[in-house]
Amino acid sequence: MREAGSGVGVWEAEAGSPGGPGPGPEVAAAKLLPFLAPGARADLQAVAARHVLALTGSGPGRALLAGQVALLRSLAELASGRDAALALVNLAADPGLHEQLLAADPGLPARLLGRTLDPQWPWAEEAAAALANLSREPAPCATLMAVLEAAEPGTPGLEQLVHALCTPGYNARAPLHYLGPLLSNLSQRPAARAFLLDPDRCVVQRLLPLTEYPDSSVRRGGVVGTLRNCCFEHRHHQWLLGPEVDILPFLLLPLAGPEDFSEEEMERLPVDLQYLPPDKQREPDADIRKMLIEAIMLLTATAPGRQQIRDQGAYLILRELHRWEPQPDVRATCEKLIQVLIGDEPESGMENLMEVQVPEDVEQRLQQVDRQEQEQLERERQELAPELWGKRAAPT
Amino acid sequence: MERSEPDLASDDAMDSFLEKFRSQPYSGGFHENQWEEEFEKVPLFMKEAPSEIDPKENPDLACLQSIIFDEERSPEEQAKTYKDEGNDYFKEKDYKKAVISYTEGLKKKCADTDLNAVLYTNRAAAQYYLGNFRSALNDVTAARKLKPCHLKAIVRGALCHLELKHFAEAVNWCDEGLQIDAKEKKLLEVRAKADKLKRTEQRDVRKAKVKEKKEQNQIEALLQAVKARNIRLSQAACEDEDLASEGLAELFLDGLSSENPYGARLSLDDQGRLSWPVLFLYPEYAQSDFISAFHEDSRFIDHLMVMFGEIPSWDLEQKYCPNDLEVYFEDEDRAELYRVPPKSSLLQVLQHPRYFIKALTPTFLVCVGSSPFWKNYLRERKVHQIK
Repeated sequence: MREAGSGVGVWEAEAGSPGGPGPGPEVAAAKLLPFLAPGARADLQAVAARHVLALTGSGPGRALLAGQVALLRSLAELASGRDAALALVNLAADPGLHEQLLAADPGLPARLLGRTLDPQWPWAEEAAAALANLSREPAPCATLMAVLEAAEPGTPGLEQLVHALCTPGYNARAPLHYLGPLLSNLSQRPAARAFLLDPDRCVVQRLLPLTEYPDSSVRRGGVVGTLRNCCFEHRHHQWLLGPEVDILPFLLLPLAGPEDFSEEEMERLPVDLQYLPPDKQREPDADIRKMLIEAIMLLTATAPGRQQIRDQGAYLILRELHRWEPQPDVRATCEKLIQVLIGDEPESGMENLMEVQVPEDVEQRLQQVDRQEQEQLERERQELAPELWGKRAAPT
Repeated sequence: MERSEPDLASDDAMDSFLEKFRSQPYSGGFHENQWEEEFEKVPLFMKEAPSEIDPKENPDLACLQSIIFDEERSPEEQAKTYKDEGNDYFKEKDYKKAVISYTEGLKKKCADTDLNAVLYTNRAAAQYYLGNFRSALNDVTAARKLKPCHLKAIVRGALCHLELKHFAEAVNWCDEGLQIDAKEKKLLEVRAKADKLKRTEQRDVRKAKVKEKKEQNQIEALLQAVKARNIRLSQAACEDEDLASEGLAELFLDGLSSENPYGARLSLDDQGRLSWPVLFLYPEYAQSDFISAFHEDSRFIDHLMVMFGEIPSWDLEQKYCPNDLEVYFEDEDRAELYRVPPKSSLLQVLQHPRYFIKALTPTFLVCVGSSPFWKNYLRERKVHQIK
């Protein structure tokens, strides 16, 4: 499993009515500029912003806008309406434009960050969404990371980002769910992970309860993605699985249903998973379920980690999940994890599965098996095949 | 000090100095017999300060005290002195005295907010060790009002909440503190502890709920079983239908808890059959037997065979043999007896329209039919036979 850039799906706002650009698009765009200036009449500002938003609805429109430095600056500053903020979101959603955008306005990430973390800014959610879109690509992500790292204490930095994400009501007018995917994208970078996993601080611990955040799958998905990326750091596994962080229950809880385990089974589970009420729901989003399982899978890379996960009764939760899971690809991922937990320990020299060197012929065979599996999944998805468990041959 | 003569150290000068003491006794020295006591009274050599300083007894000490606590010194200086005094008591673990000192310091209402914040925080610490967690919390709250960034107050507050089992509050305080110093070790430690305890507490609540639900289901099932069999429970003062059904549930709860001295209770087995705790009374000898679980389908005779397989010690005439025994139940309302055929099952008898179970423990009278005692006993009562 490669260290995939996660980021939740592109968030494209609804562009307004796509009015034609009219005579010479650059000219038209330039004409809009004075109306977007801060001192302009509010109603004219609103109309101009709507036009800009409409332009962002199309590829060429976006490409055009991306080169207009002054326009971009105004958009970011504008407080008069949501349209201006949405226009930026759309521009940021287009990966082909990132280079242009950043060239035209290098200060854009910093400014957006400022807006996002300003507790009074009404369009902070849109600013966060724009940043989330920008940070999906490595170059803007690196730029943003640099801005965050350079921050003085008190100015918007990673600490404040996490604080805003974890504090309900941080901004009374914006829920800031998109801080989730933003953090998830940032966590692709080692420096972000180092901050999140700093044992002298309390950062990752504050994210854990958000895996059950009911009001937004965007936030939940972002947090789970962040946690999954953190699980690549196998040097931190002991600490993550230990009492100072205790990450496992928070990964398992969204996967658990209202199961009625026996008293003996119940006592083996982590405290957070015991005696769940009969109305307990599993995580409704299949992608998030998959990421949770992947995160746990990453934690099984080391032998002590595997043992700890076994000892905490993860198998019980996964067994019930497998019975319930409707999505074939999630079920397959679940199966793989169960195999690791109940399978034999690997031979010596392979204790850390992440550091094993795979010989080329084995690599090719594995790729072939992967391909065959993919084909099978496709078939299943099409026929919605019933219970697979037991029908597929165990991997050698 | 006057310049001494050049040769004071010489033997002659020393000799003449010492000569003086032959004629003049040295006054002002310690008395031979009580020199230790007097030694202790000199402020410089005191091991322990007296709690009350009496100027007559100890003028030197009273003098020193009045210098330290002089009302003419500024409030800040006085408050600081009280703070130091409190700290000293604190170090000696004399927390009560420490609280008093800090309180005196605060009374000065000096203008130094930092000092007052420290006084509050330190008093909170002393209160904490005295177990007065709420007072301690009041103090740290006051300290924080004066100095919002005072970390020691925040740590103390979190610890208080932890002791008071306000785990969520403890975590909140830690988070607030960590915003000021993200790496404060004590805060990290307390936060982790409080969080774990909070989650354990939540589990305990869930567990209790599950247990309660289970018990309720059990009681419900028992109630249903009893109702389905048309068995009548004796109700003290219930008249109308609605109260009756509620009364039944109440009776159940009462009956199932501790009324029964043997701790046995009505139970339902996997096949849906009831077993009752049953009392057999032997009025002839004022004896009794308690059967903790009389299965409703089992017959009286079967139990009697077992129970009277050996002659009981109180059976002086050795006449209580299973086949000679007669079983009766009493309709207390009408003071009438009903004779129970020993081969009937418990259920059959319990369903009798005149059988009312008291305290969920069916009771039966057992005697030897042919005995004079019993003939006498029956003569005074109306007896019915049941099939």
